[in-house]
Amino acid sequence: MTSHRLPRSRVEPANPLLNVSRSANLPHVPGIRIGDYVFLSGMGPIDPLTGERKHGPIAEQVRTTLNNVKHMLESAGSSLERVVRVHVVLADIADIAEMDRVYREFFPVDPPARSAWSMQLRFGNGCEIECVALVS
Amino acid sequence: MREVITAPLPGLDLRRHYGHFQSPAIRAGGLIFCSGMIPVDPHTGERLHGTLTSEAHVIFGNLKLLLEAAGSSLDRLVQVHALIYDSIEYDVLNRVYRQYVANGPPARTVWSAQIEAGFKVQLDVIAAA
Amino acid sequence: MSLLRAVIAPPLPGPGAKRAFNGQASAAVRGGAFVFVSGLTSVDPATGEAIRGTTARETQRVLENLKLILEAAGSSLARVVKVNVLVHSMLEAPNMNEIYARFFPEPPPARTVCGARLPHGAKVMIECTALAPDDQP
Repeated sequence: MTSHRLPRSRVEPANPLLNVSRSANLPHVPGIRIGDYVFLSGMGPIDPLTGERKHGPIAEQVRTTLNNVKHMLESAGSSLERVVRVHVVLADIADIAEMDRVYREFFPVDPPARSAWSMQLRFGNGCEIECVALVS
Repeated sequence: MREVITAPLPGLDLRRHYGHFQSPAIRAGGLIFCSGMIPVDPHTGERLHGTLTSEAHVIFGNLKLLLEAAGSSLDRLVQVHALIYDSIEYDVLNRVYRQYVANGPPARTVWSAQIEAGFKVQLDVIAAA
Repeated sequence: MSLLRAVIAPPLPGPGAKRAFNGQASAAVRGGAFVFVSGLTSVDPATGEAIRGTTARETQRVLENLKLILEAAGSSLARVVKVNVLVHSMLEAPNMNEIYARFFPEPPPARTVCGARLPHGAKVMIECTALAPDDQP
């Protein structure tokens, strides 16, 4: 059994407009790398060109969000293919079919484990997506 | 290797007090997975309902005790799910929360969820060992 | 060297088992030292058909399926480190807990329970993280 501590460091998106932790001065970081894993904070439909919330049909919100997740993972030295767990929270559970339709474009082969459910979300967001991935 | 972190004070043994079939925390693979922490008195286990602020202070105090007993600390938090009973209290949560994670906050997702016993907040955390 | 990431094949053969997750998720994925299991709701493990009932009955079915998935991954209920339980109403948490207590051997994993709106009228959803087999780095 190893007794050394795993190295822990913050990860940030290459695109600063997606760094909501920093831009909104919130007490979290976009992601934490710990050992072989990266744990990402939940991400929402932020327009990567403006940093503003981008709403509209749920399919587009999910696409925007997953593109942001992809960017975040790549900034952290990981990728969509290395994701092991995803949490998808929807404001409206009825959106699940539309969400699935877009989701499968991002995880077409050997998809990660996933839990999807509905909760009240802030800022009128239709979705929030969080994941854990391997980095090595 | 999967190791149980036992409650450092009797009030944090939620199984004994409330029948929750869980261990306080489990250490495995260099991480510490904590059961959702609720605002209970760490000595007596008594529920300490209050404002979201007061409940959050109790929760962080309890997590500090638990993580330090496991050889970790609040500075080693990796991921938090912050459960709040209503998203309207988001700013209130942040005001308390930031006091405890000033030295390198972890990743976080806020969940607006129904929490046990009508508590306003609960923290579900993973820390590094 | 790249850390092992592997999808765990469904514990029962047939397209129904894969359909249980609409093909959008793997029931479980091994990543490094851990096995990550998707949020499971009450389904027939062979056909993927939803099986609705009381929270207690659904919890029973979910945990039976979880046991199968973990064993397919070379893991087990004893190797689970953390469980997240979502129930459609926290009023049902004691009913869930009573069934749950029959499945996990001592000492039980860490757990968080909360109430949320679940897909397809499910009463309970359970996801977990478990230790992978010790065989590979």
